[in-house]
Amino acid sequence: MDSQNPFEGEISLNRRKGENSVREVRHGSRGGDIELLGLSHKEIGDDDARLVYLNDPVKSNERYEFAGNSIRTSKYSVFSFLPRNLFRQFHRVAYIYFLIIAVLNQLPQLAVFGRGASIMPLAFVLSVTAVKDAYEDWRRHRSDRVENNRLAWVLVDDEFQQKKWKDIQVGEILKIQANETFPCDIVLLSTSEPTGVAFVQTVNLDGESNLKTRYAKQETISKIPEEEMINGLIKCERPNRNIYGFQANMEVEGKRLSLGPSNILLRGCELKNTAWAIGVAVYCGRETKAMLNSSGAPSKRSHLETRMNFETIILSLFLTLLCSIVSICAAVWLRHRKDELDILPFYRRKDFAHGAPQNFNYYGWGLEIIFTFLMSVIVFQIMIPISLYISMELVRVGQAYFMIRDMLLYDEESNSRFQCRSLNINEDLGQIKYVFSDKTGTLTENKMEFQCASIWGVDYSGGRTISRNDPVQVDGKILQPKMEVKVDPQLLELSRSGKDTKGAKHVHDFLLALAACNTIVPLVVDDTSDSPVKLLDYQGESPDEQALAYAAAAYGFMLTERTSGHIVINIQGERQRFNVLGLHEFDSDRKRMSVILGCPDKTVKVFVKGADTSMFSVIDRSLNTNIIHATEAHLQTYSSMGLRTLVFGIRELNNSEFEQWHLAFEAASTAIIGRAALLRKVANNVENSLTILGASAIEDKLQQGVPEAIESLRTAGIKAWVLTGDKQETAISIGYSSKLLTSKMTSIIINSNSKQSSRRSLEDALVTSKKLTITSGITHNTGASDAAAVNPVALIIDGTSLVHILDSELEELLFELATKCSVVLCCRVAPLQKAGIVALVKNRTRDMTLAIGDGANDVSMIQMADVGVGISGREGQQAVMASDFAMGQFRFLVPLLLVHGHWNYQRMGYMILYNFYRNAVFVLVLFWYVIFTSFTLTTAITEWSSMLYSIIYTALPTIVVGILDKDLSRRTLLKYPQLYGAGHRQEAYNTKLFWLTMIDTLWQSVAVFSIPLFAYWASSIDGSSIGDLWTLAVVILVNLHLAMDISRWSWITHAVIWGSIIATFICVTIIDAVPIFSGYWAIFHVAKTELFWLCLLAIVLAALIPRYVVKFLYQYYSPCDIQIAREAEKFRSPRELRNTKIETNPILGSPHR
Amino acid sequence: MIGEATSSGGGGKDDSPAAVSGKKNKKPNYSRFTQQELPACKPILTPGWVITSFIVVGVVFIPIGLASLYASEHVVEIVERYDKDCIPPDYRNNSLHYIQTSETDKNCTMTINVPKLMKSPVFIYYELDNFYQNHRRYVKSRSDKQLRSKASEGKKNIAWKSDQEHKFGSDIYPKNFQNGSLIGGGKLNPSIPLSEQVDLIVWMRTAALPNFRKLYGKIEKDLQANTTITVTIENNYNTYSFGGKKKLVLSTTSWIGGKNSFLGRAYIAIGGLCLFLAVCFVFVYLLKPRPLGDPSYLSWNRNPSGQMN
Repeated sequence: MDSQNPFEGEISLNRRKGENSVREVRHGSRGGDIELLGLSHKEIGDDDARLVYLNDPVKSNERYEFAGNSIRTSKYSVFSFLPRNLFRQFHRVAYIYFLIIAVLNQLPQLAVFGRGASIMPLAFVLSVTAVKDAYEDWRRHRSDRVENNRLAWVLVDDEFQQKKWKDIQVGEILKIQANETFPCDIVLLSTSEPTGVAFVQTVNLDGESNLKTRYAKQETISKIPEEEMINGLIKCERPNRNIYGFQANMEVEGKRLSLGPSNILLRGCELKNTAWAIGVAVYCGRETKAMLNSSGAPSKRSHLETRMNFETIILSLFLTLLCSIVSICAAVWLRHRKDELDILPFYRRKDFAHGAPQNFNYYGWGLEIIFTFLMSVIVFQIMIPISLYISMELVRVGQAYFMIRDMLLYDEESNSRFQCRSLNINEDLGQIKYVFSDKTGTLTENKMEFQCASIWGVDYSGGRTISRNDPVQVDGKILQPKMEVKVDPQLLELSRSGKDTKGAKHVHDFLLALAACNTIVPLVVDDTSDSPVKLLDYQGESPDEQALAYAAAAYGFMLTERTSGHIVINIQGERQRFNVLGLHEFDSDRKRMSVILGCPDKTVKVFVKGADTSMFSVIDRSLNTNIIHATEAHLQTYSSMGLRTLVFGIRELNNSEFEQWHLAFEAASTAIIGRAALLRKVANNVENSLTILGASAIEDKLQQGVPEAIESLRTAGIKAWVLTGDKQETAISIGYSSKLLTSKMTSIIINSNSKQSSRRSLEDALVTSKKLTITSGITHNTGASDAAAVNPVALIIDGTSLVHILDSELEELLFELATKCSVVLCCRVAPLQKAGIVALVKNRTRDMTLAIGDGANDVSMIQMADVGVGISGREGQQAVMASDFAMGQFRFLVPLLLVHGHWNYQRMGYMILYNFYRNAVFVLVLFWYVIFTSFTLTTAITEWSSMLYSIIYTALPTIVVGILDKDLSRRTLLKYPQLYGAGHRQEAYNTKLFWLTMIDTLWQSVAVFSIPLFAYWASSIDGSSIGDLWTLAVVILVNLHLAMDISRWSWITHAVIWGSIIATFICVTIIDAVPIFSGYWAIFHVAKTELFWLCLLAIVLAALIPRYVVKFLYQYYSPCDIQIAREAEKFRSPRELRNTKIETNPILGSPHR
Repeated sequence: MIGEATSSGGGGKDDSPAAVSGKKNKKPNYSRFTQQELPACKPILTPGWVITSFIVVGVVFIPIGLASLYASEHVVEIVERYDKDCIPPDYRNNSLHYIQTSETDKNCTMTINVPKLMKSPVFIYYELDNFYQNHRRYVKSRSDKQLRSKASEGKKNIAWKSDQEHKFGSDIYPKNFQNGSLIGGGKLNPSIPLSEQVDLIVWMRTAALPNFRKLYGKIEKDLQANTTITVTIENNYNTYSFGGKKKLVLSTTSWIGGKNSFLGRAYIAIGGLCLFLAVCFVFVYLLKPRPLGDPSYLSWNRNPSGQMN
């Protein structure tokens, strides 16, 4: 809800961290995060370290006062609320303006308005915001209290006792039971598992719902804290917000052990599938990683608002002009009559009442002019529509309410609603020109399905008809894999034939590699039903690995158990135990992972899987050349089908090799300094001279409705760019299947290795694209973007080329080329490059950019773009946390932009113009009257009416219209995506409209002022009566003006418009019923005369006729698309509507009703 | 913020056991309101509608205009400027001196000829021109507190009853009024309570415009044509210092108020304009019609090369 971000400073920090902790998540488990963070992997110095004495909170806390475990997300206490809240509120320029005006008015010489009247608007706004803040803070207080009073088992006097979370201290030993949440960041000491493994779910922290394994150190596993004292010292780094990094070492019994991110349990995570875990608290309360990561959404400013600020400056110049005119005229008037001032009956400079004449309230010519100027600023203050800023916020909240509740934006599958995380940029959704999309998880489901395999040069991709997830009996239980996998009958046949024949042997090894070479944790789902068949769920960090493990299970190689030391694979009904001697995790440098298995037949084998490029470099190419070529050919085919490929290799280690590796591995994994680098080196040494086994191909399924959505976006004139980490072939094939690329397009592919070649290919490409656009014979000169659409060009560029292009002078060339292309596909790009590409466009055009993604690697791009959209899908919460809007599916982008974006933009654009007009017309009426009071700023309209004008008389209708008005129905907007172009062309708000509105304003104010002026000239009318007439006339006029522009009149709109007019009558009556005001009873006298009502009628008509005529002529003879579509909506037959339904259904998906 | 992450962490797999039990369905409830589908009418400015509205306005406005013009014409108004005439010839060049001394005789007699029959009630006004009663210093210098307290009936009902009852006290006596050395106006009888000093009350209702009238009295009988009225004016108020004009006005009244033809003319003008526009639009419509809601008028259909499909 906060538009102002108190964590502004932290955001940039967060962004940096986000980039650092970005990882290649696709292919394997993550590793080497620590190394990514700090190149120099230093020993933690004593100064930077936090010393935690095990089970000794007193000693741990004596040197530094570590934070306790109570948390505070609330911002205020009862006493600090008033000053702090006011301080925060006055960060807004608008409020300061209000304040200055109110203070000016308190000076006796300038007191135009009474004290109450002048403070009221400010007080009103401040108190509304304060009440809202107070309510939000009260809710935070309440949730804090609940959180702080939860109970945990803490070791006190050799016994685990329950303690409130807020009383937990650093150094205390805690015991957490299964399914409990960790109260603070804990270093794991021991668990119920003898191997010291604990499974944790981190869904609260990063949204990843799969289980992660954490390990206790061997040295502490066997300790039972209740019985024997554990003494030890943990030296760990200072609290930081990197949830994937932890560096520490622990001294237990004289031994020094190093601790890493796999040894720490973080606050907010839950213990799963482990009966209990014991650990020592190292970070508490606000110093926990979870709390350090809880910063608000980034604050962005909408494009429209930025533009509006420019017009606001024009208005303030206009205000200055008005005030100057008044003070100059007043100066001339005073100068002209300077001899008469003493005796003018209505001026009376000298006070003759008390003896010698003295100046009475007269400060000399110069000062009088300055005072006049300041007074006119006070009187004309609402020329600057301060209330507009507050109205805009309310409107955005209302718009967000409807977006969140829109059923079209609800994702049934993940049970997630649309989320509005940033409330400042709703209207930007209506002007998006570029969409940058991630591929995996965004365009595709990130739900991998094993499709084909190439084993030993034979392709098994035919006849995938049988779906299998056969149950298998294991240890008296019948296990059934949770996912069905389509299998190839031929391969199934082979896999069952044992490993005696040569072909079957290779199949056996390949399937074993599928089942073993991963970090999957098999979990038996405990359902309450008594069915003997239990579901087997493979939990893993990479969806590819899950797909492969399920595939292996379908072919009879079922992974059933994993501990830290061994895995159990049920091979064709036979339980086999493999010792996991070592595991080299996936990292983005090697792009492969390997596992060293001690097989039941006492051989030691290393299984390696990885990306094709990295694998072919470590496969011994001298062996089985034919097989390698065949596999390469298959890989090519798979890629072109849009499948994700992995290559598998194997090598048997002889004893000496194994010993050598084992020593190196032991040394590396216990090393304190540069562990990851050492491990990588060890891995590189063992992962070579491999024998090729084959390759797997996994289908990354497109999300529902993606091709239709892309089609719609393109028709709407939005350029879609896809930025993916995948390889070029995969990216292109996904491009085709998602209709991003079509056969009509000419593709330009840029793959370069150096700056020179990049430049050359860019220049060539530019020539080609120019030629293409020229040969298509463009006769219209509507700009490059349209020209590109005639003969569409697609640009495909890879990460390596981008390395040379981004941040160099070639950027200019790339931009020029890219704007000529209707589609840009960037493959093999690193997360930072994604942000770089967004910046490339954002910094060079005024067009709006939108980035959509789901993973941690999209965070930088999401934050860089004008609008960031997160897919709250499977891959964690980071993208959502960094985004402005979050939703469940890519296809929701269509209703979000085309429908809500369009509405929001139209509403906000109109609202700004209307507010400018509404305030200016009132100010101008005041101004005209000033001319007839010899420039002394007497107002006929009472001060209370001028204050209430923008708060009560006219405030509500514009807000309601800003939230509810719809120029076109959802159906029409989806039927004609081109209508979105109104936002691109800035039809709802532009300089021309602003000036037209201002001219209209001028005319309307003249009409309002002059009709009563002439009608009552030389009559006995008094100031208050004519003031009431003007008040009512202006209010009725501006409300009818709004009424004229409303496209949809629901009962709410009716109630608000007519209600406002009635409310104004009531308010004016009440003000005139107060005897101390000079206008006492004026309205009752004047409303009795026919003249009053005739004036009112004449004013409204005379003021609105020009607008009415122009509006009609414009709409009828130069209709914009929106107008035609609206007419079609109203007058065209329902036959067309039926067509629409058929057309739009694929985009909308199944109607959720 | 942890709590927030929990509530929004919809990314979990639905079928993991913990997730299923602890998750409530977040599907928004359908209502026409939340889906922004409230029944509504969608007005569109069609030529028929626009032309009809102009004709209606024209038909309504012109008769009103004629009626008010007629009423205004039938108001008989006599305006006599007296500030010039009421200065004796020897003071003509020194009008300020004349008005400021208490020695001169301020009484002045004027004869007014009634040109036409004036039906009762005939209102007597004095009119001031170029007098900024709405000047800030003037408005600010009045003190409502000084004037206020309790009530009674006034001089021929010229003041607002509400003013008399609530604003001007009956036990306040104008002792201090114009007692200074700067004389240039009338004097009040200090023995009458303020609430009965109706002339003062009328005067204190600040005029809206620099050219204004104040009601002085009513003549409750018809004045026949060619009657001669003799008015004795005490020329007290100093308008000479600022070149203001003082006039005496006798006027009958009508439903439209005093003699002012502006509103009638304005109504006729607006009505006429509307009828004129209606006729224009009819012609324009007949000459160059456009079918409403024809998709072929959409920009991308008019300019087929502009968009690719």
